[in-house]
Parts: sequence; structure tokens; C-alpha cells
Amino acid sequence: MPTMVADNISSGYGKNLIIRNISLEVDAKKVTTIVGPNGAGKSTFAKTVVGLLKAQTGSIVVNGDDLTKVPAYKIPGRGLAYVPQVQNVFVSMTVQENLEIGGFVTKGNTHDRMEEILATFKDLEKARHKRAGFLSGGQQNMLAIARALMVNPSVIVLDEPTAGLSPAYTNVVWEEIGRIAESGTAVLVVEQNVERAIVHSDYVHVFVAGQNHVHGTKEEIAQLDLASIFLGRSEATKS
Amino acid sequence: MHLFWIDFGTGLATAAVVALAATGLTLQFGITNYINFAYGDFMGLGALLTFALNNQAFHLNFWIAAPIAAILVGVFAVIANQLLLAPFARRFSNPALTMIVTFGLSLFMANVATVIWTGNTLFFRMPISVDKKVGPFLWSPDVMIVMGFAVLVMVMIHLLLKTTRLGKMMRALSDNTSLALTSGIDVRQITNVTWFMSGLLAGLGGIALAVEEANLTVTSAESYLFVIFAAVILGGIGSVYGAMLGALAIGLLTETAPLYINAGYKLDVGFFIVIVLLLFRPQGLVPRLGRS
Ligand SMILES: Nc1ncnc2c1ncn2[C@@H]1O[C@H](COP(=O)(O)OP(=O)(O)OP(=O)(O)O)[C@@H](O)[C@H]1O
Ligand SMILES: [Mg+2]
Repeated sequence: MPTMVADNISSGYGKNLIIRNISLEVDAKKVTTIVGPNGAGKSTFAKTVVGLLKAQTGSIVVNGDDLTKVPAYKIPGRGLAYVPQVQNVFVSMTVQENLEIGGFVTKGNTHDRMEEILATFKDLEKARHKRAGFLSGGQQNMLAIARALMVNPSVIVLDEPTAGLSPAYTNVVWEEIGRIAESGTAVLVVEQNVERAIVHSDYVHVFVAGQNHVHGTKEEIAQLDLASIFLGRSEATKS
Repeated sequence: MHLFWIDFGTGLATAAVVALAATGLTLQFGITNYINFAYGDFMGLGALLTFALNNQAFHLNFWIAAPIAAILVGVFAVIANQLLLAPFARRFSNPALTMIVTFGLSLFMANVATVIWTGNTLFFRMPISVDKKVGPFLWSPDVMIVMGFAVLVMVMIHLLLKTTRLGKMMRALSDNTSLALTSGIDVRQITNVTWFMSGLLAGLGGIALAVEEANLTVTSAESYLFVIFAAVILGGIGSVYGAMLGALAIGLLTETAPLYINAGYKLDVGFFIVIVLLLFRPQGLVPRLGRS
């Protein structure tokens, strides 16, 4: 059974529907990516899954647990963690405090979990008492991911975790994403760069104009002429 | 020189009052992003409820009436937010519109207070506290208690924000509301707690002001609103430590001002500082990381 099943999701801002009838599954130990042109509704979908936007239709189920109507603040405690595309750290708080916040929803001692996470995120360990606003963009994204991991989630949703990062740091982040999946977590990543998405993920969804236009394994998606799909033409295989 | 130190001492006492009130105002601003113009009335309510418990009903000892009154203002603040301000804040994406609602609340509270407590000068029922020489300063024992209490409250706020789970959640909420929500913080609950603390501190500030002035009227706290704003803006709006420093600066400035200008204008010093700051340094004097 997939770890997360989003079924027939439609949502948007106010009365405006941005995404329509999107269905998608995320499996444990797998990296699933969503690619698509600017404004395709990738972030809107991610925000709906984690309860920031209300789903007008459809359902979100994690580990058999229906989260569709669950308030956003209870979602991480139910196994679904989220890293937003922008403003994803508490800039006025230290690295350690950011991680503590991430661990508040789990009962009991989170100290061990924090040490475990800091042991894998070496850069953060060094900057432990620095305020997050003083970290580089890449370090901030790493901190945001580390914060989300504090709850030991079943599913983690990452919205463009490498946007604006240097190529070197982009690789570091993708390696980390790979490790997270290996550890048993189901990973859903929104990614702008199609080539990179295909290299690093197991399964790819292509969103165009608010719909899940085409999806498949990375090998299947690699066969498609994505450039014309992005421009709204129907899918054609690469010639 | 002698007069200067006496005014300086009065400035420290005023700083204590302003610090209590300013931290409460800035805590609330930090999470809602609009200024509460009814805050002066919240302060006044603290003093007036103390007067009611101490002088009108129950005849409680002042030192018992005061904390009860402050807690009641905290509860009132939560209710005012839940019933009036929060519904508007949810509707309006622009916080300035909710700020206008706080103007309405201020007018309403001021008028109700005048109906209940009239425009007369009121006095707490407590032993007269005579000024004593303390070093170069001249303070009454009651004012010294108020100052000591204010310092204690500042230390407690510091410990709350830096060491407790609740305090960290409050800071997280003030830093980034939507991230706080998706990180698992019950934003509505923490917002209520923050309004309670804001009301509690307003109440304490209003009571402290009445003790310092040795009397109160329904409007005396309101006239201090710009002094409080000045402290908050000086320290960088939303910053708690900034508000503490701002309170110290503003307290000393307003009370030593009569040495140089007509004493009748001393509260206008606050108003003047607000204007100058908003023109030249709206982010306050204490550097603070950009909020998101
Ligand atoms: N807060 C908002 N209010 C109203 N409309 C919005 C809001 N945020 C996004 N939109 C609109 O929703 C559509 C989808 O935006 P979304 O952010 O989901 O796209 P995206 O696929 O994540 O794009 P990008 O690759 O640029 O991040 C866009 O047309 C955008 O203008
Ligand atoms: Mg996006």
C-alpha cells in the first residue's frame, strides 16, 4: 500500500480553483517528484496536501489515516511533514531552536532525535547557536529539511528544496533526499529542473495548467518530449 | 544637578511603567501585525478594575486587587480578540483594516469607562506612601515596589521566551505564522495565550501608572499611549528586548524633558519621537533580523 494517497484533489485560493482532480501516490523508500512549468500549481498542490489550503474535492490519506479534514497544525504529528518553497526557517531563532520547534509535536524526549539529525547535517551542527537568518540559502534549506525530519515523518513533502542553490549545494541536498528515502520515508519533491528530477527520482509527475498531465517511472518520462508538454501541446515521444 | 537626578529617578519609575506596557503591546503586535489602539484603554481598565475591587466592591487590599484586576484584563483581551478582532483579521488581508477596528474598540471602552467611573479623579484605598531619599533619587516605597516588580516581570518574560516551550512557540509564531502552523504549532491557542499576556501586561502597566501618579482618571492611561508607542517603535516594533530598552530611553527622556521644556509638554515628547522615528528609522534603533 502506498504511504500517501492523494485522490482527486482540487483546490485554489478563495473561489479560484488552481488545481483540478489531481491524484498521486507516494511510496515508502521512494523519491517521487512533481515537475512542471511556472504557475502549473505544484506549490498549490503541496500546500493543499499539508492542510494550508482546503481541498475542494478529494482526499489525502497517509498510512490509512484520512487527513483531509485535519487542521494543518495536527498534520506533522500524523506523519506528514512539509518544507515550503520559501520562508522555510524561523529566521530570528537559532538552528537548535528551529529543530526544537520541529520536535514539539512529538511526545517525550526529542533531544536524542536532534543529536541524531545534527550528526548527519554537519553544517548545521557547526552553526547550532547561530540564528537561521544568518545561514546561507543552502544551509537554510537543509535546516528546513532537518526541522521537518524531527517528527520522524512517514512522508516528507519538499517544495523546490534546491531552488537558487549553487550546483555543488544542489547535489548535497539531493544526496540528502536520497538518504531520507533510503531510511524508509516516502519523499515527495517539487522540482523545477526536469533533468535533475529524472536523475534523482523513482517516479515523476508532470503538472501542466493545474492538472496531473502525465506521470510515469523516470525511464518512461525520460522518453517524452517534455518541452512541448510544458508548452501545453499534448505529449509526443521524443523523435 | 540635584534636580536632574530627582527627575532621572522619576524617569526610571516611568520607564518601569512603560516597560510593562510596551512589552505587552509589542508581544501582541508580533503575532497579529496590527497595532492595538485600544491598548491604552486596556491599561486604564486594569487601574479602574483595581479601583473597583479596592474601593467600590469587596474592598480588597490593593496588593490583592491589583493582580486580580490585571488577570481580568488578560481575560478581557482574549475575549475581545476572539469575538471582535480575530473575525475581522480573518476577513481582511490588510492588517491596517483591523487596526481601525481597534480604534472603534478604544472609543467604546473609553465611553463605557466614563459612564461607570465618571470623569473624576480616583484614588486607591492604600496607605499614603511618602517619598524617601534613595541616593540621589526621590522615590516612595510603593514606586520602588513597582520598579522592582517591573524588573522581575522583564526577567520572567526573558526566561519565558528563551527557555520554555510556550515562549519558543510564541517567538516562532511571531517570526513566521504559516511555518509555525505547518510545524505543528496550534496557532489559535498560542495567539490566545499571547493576547492574554498582552492584556495582563497592559493591566499591570495601567496599575503601575496609577501608583506612580498616586491617582487615576478614566483617561490617564490613554494619554500615555503615545509614550508606549514611542518605546515600542524605538526598540523596533515586535521586538520584546527592543521594547524594554525603548521604555528605559523614553522614561528617562519624558521625565527629564521638563528641565528643558515646559512640563505640560512632557508626554508630547513621546509623540514627537514617534514622528521622527517613523520618518527616519521606522524599523527602530535596535537592529533585528527581517521578519517573514
Ligand atoms: N496566494 C495566492 N493567491 C492567489 N493566487 C495564487 C497564490 N499563490 C499562487 N497563486 C496562483 O496559483 C497558480 C499556481 O501557483 P503555484 O505557486 O502553485 O505554481 P508552481 O507550479 O508552484 O510555480 P513555481 O514553479 O513558480 O513555484 C499561479 O497562477 C499563481 O498565480
Ligand atoms: Mg512553486
